[in-house]
Amino acid sequence: MLFNEIYSGYYLATSSILREALKGTLTKKKFADIVNKYAFGESFVTILAGLQGGKWHLLDDDFTPKIENIPVMPLSILQKRWLKSLISDPRIKLFEPDISGLDDVEPLFDKDMIVYYDRYTDGDDYDDENYIAVFRIILRALRERKNLRIIFETRLHEAREINITPHYLEYSEKDDRFRLVGADEKFRWIVNLSRIINCEIINSGQFYELPEGIIDSVTFELIDRWNAMERVLLHFSHLQRETKRLDENKYRVTIYYDHYDETEVLIRILSFGSTIRVMEPESFITRLKERIDRQRELTKA
Amino acid sequence: MAYSELIKNFNGIRDYIRSFYVYGFNHRNDYTQKSTRSYDNERRRVESWLGDYMTFGQDNEGRRFYISVDSRAIPENPLYRAFRTKSFTDKDIMLHFHILDILAPNHEYSVNDILDELYERLDENLPEESTIRKKLSEYVKIGLIEREKQGKENIYRLSRDNIKLESWTSALAFFSEIAPLGVIGSFINSERPGIFYFKHHYILNALDSEILCDLFMAVNEKRSVKLITKKLNVKVFPLKIYVGTQTGRQYLLAWSMEIERFYFYRLDLIEDVEINEKFYEVPELQRFMLINDTENQEAFTEILTQKVSEFTSRVWGVSGGVDTTKIKVVDDNSEREKECRKVDTTFVDDKSEHEKICGKIDRTFVDENSEHKKVYGKIDITRINFTLYIDDGEEHIIQRLEREKRCGKIEKVDANHWEFSAEVFDALEMLPFLRTFIGRITDLQCSDERVIERFNQDVQALSEMYKI
Repeated sequence: MLFNEIYSGYYLATSSILREALKGTLTKKKFADIVNKYAFGESFVTILAGLQGGKWHLLDDDFTPKIENIPVMPLSILQKRWLKSLISDPRIKLFEPDISGLDDVEPLFDKDMIVYYDRYTDGDDYDDENYIAVFRIILRALRERKNLRIIFETRLHEAREINITPHYLEYSEKDDRFRLVGADEKFRWIVNLSRIINCEIINSGQFYELPEGIIDSVTFELIDRWNAMERVLLHFSHLQRETKRLDENKYRVTIYYDHYDETEVLIRILSFGSTIRVMEPESFITRLKERIDRQRELTKA
Repeated sequence: MAYSELIKNFNGIRDYIRSFYVYGFNHRNDYTQKSTRSYDNERRRVESWLGDYMTFGQDNEGRRFYISVDSRAIPENPLYRAFRTKSFTDKDIMLHFHILDILAPNHEYSVNDILDELYERLDENLPEESTIRKKLSEYVKIGLIEREKQGKENIYRLSRDNIKLESWTSALAFFSEIAPLGVIGSFINSERPGIFYFKHHYILNALDSEILCDLFMAVNEKRSVKLITKKLNVKVFPLKIYVGTQTGRQYLLAWSMEIERFYFYRLDLIEDVEINEKFYEVPELQRFMLINDTENQEAFTEILTQKVSEFTSRVWGVSGGVDTTKIKVVDDNSEREKECRKVDTTFVDDKSEHEKICGKIDRTFVDENSEHKKVYGKIDITRINFTLYIDDGEEHIIQRLEREKRCGKIEKVDANHWEFSAEVFDALEMLPFLRTFIGRITDLQCSDERVIERFNQDVQALSEMYKI
């Protein structure tokens, strides 16, 4: 049901090509652009043969369409059921979608069927009215590309006000938190939404580009003991990385991470114990050694 | 058969994408499960679908292709593209667009009208009537078109709804990445406005979407399923999906007919799901539930919820623990009895921390009638407690402990010491969590001595590794 040709890139591209043909705006270049956008690297020849070549009887050689109406595809039952499932998600309150039209639809799943067993328990409060209001203002600012004035609580529990250009909202599945990522004239800002006390759109001010984040790397050797290879590589799979096999049970892995996440990465590496041996950088090894040394002393005591 | 970038079944490509994405160190000759020609075709396909993310490294053994992506830097899961590759025939695509065009909004036709209209358009290329009727029935089932009996005739029209999709744009951008089966959301709207990005985002789980979809269907309908894997088939009653936000894995929590207890099954190892009988038609489940009125769905749900809740309250991660019923180990020449876990090793990590304690089992010694087993097998509860040193100004460590613990409690011992204690089925599962506090653990106690032993060995090994 899910893996079905009605959702395929070829159908999507064909639909878009027919739409252009019906409008009379289809050109060879547009044809190629559409295939490139909706289908894949080697799709062009097949779709061209199917459409312009006449195999599919949908388009003439001169791009005259053989259908009469702009192609539409109603939502499938699966799509409606998936949409209905979202209504039980506590985060849906942030978005205000119009849920009419789904009354008679059975959800595909509900929140009680899913357990995020290792998610942190102090995630954002999606029932908090101020939080919801802040979220919606930020969303609007992002859509309309407007600047924001925000007042947030710092780690030292002080209120701080900044004017920033919002660039995107970042959601962490592990933390169950949203963070606003934006920029002012000097800095790249990442602010937890739960710390924002007040927020308003400002209709003036310069649009600040987002400075690049600082990316660090750590290289380690991985011993495949207790299935560590699969566990470690899957655990770090959301990060950019490179892996080489050194011998049957040993691998060299380099992972790239945000500079500000170093402590988190260090803790995550520690969680795999002696199956991982960090090779570089030296500063990272020094931090690891401090912790291991402290533990050795505590264990002795 | 000529190469095509489209595929008939999704399952065959899952292992290749997984290997390119997770491992990334394999060379052509390492793909031994099928011929090298199969590898060449599959690699070519994945490259065609995900060319922007496919890269390669060169070493003495040759090229190793891999998918390289920082999931934090992209607003949409590129692996969803793999679900847009279902093959089709010329007739499929021809009929799809012509039928939907004939039934354009507000048009209603009988099957004969549709056939006439198609004949007009396609003339000698018109497929057989049975093919057209089959396509109509298929689209009714999928929900693209509606069929209504009017007099003696079936009337067809495009499915109608009042869903205001324009109000869902932002929600779709978010939930298509985060919600289970987000790939379905990407079918509704593949455009991403770039408003949301995602950290700690395990995009690989998308590959298990077909399996997950079938399991949700079975859970909804309270049906048992047969899980089909490369090694064996298992009959279970599916209950919940456990998603790891730190492991990148998804599991099914189910009640196993075979071992008659709750058990976790890795989704990525399941190749197919066969949906079978309703809950009240499963005798093993009736025995377990101890209910007489077997079709009483309400009573069933209530009892099951209670039993699941009892079980999961002592699960740290995804291990239901060690069944310490005395079981004779039949593949052990010594014939000695030892504490053994009843496992279906297909679903546990080969060579995992848990697996070493178990061999093939003879269930002669299982206490089938024990009250305890009726709930979750005869499993010992492990008690674990450890104390952390927390310096002045390091209160964030207490907060970390609080937010990362999944059960148990935290108590202040003195100004700088805090104790965590819990009762779980399998404390070995807690080792990774425990190791994250290396440098602070002043005391560790556990009724499963292997936990202490393994932890201390690890600290010792790390000390030697870094020459401390």
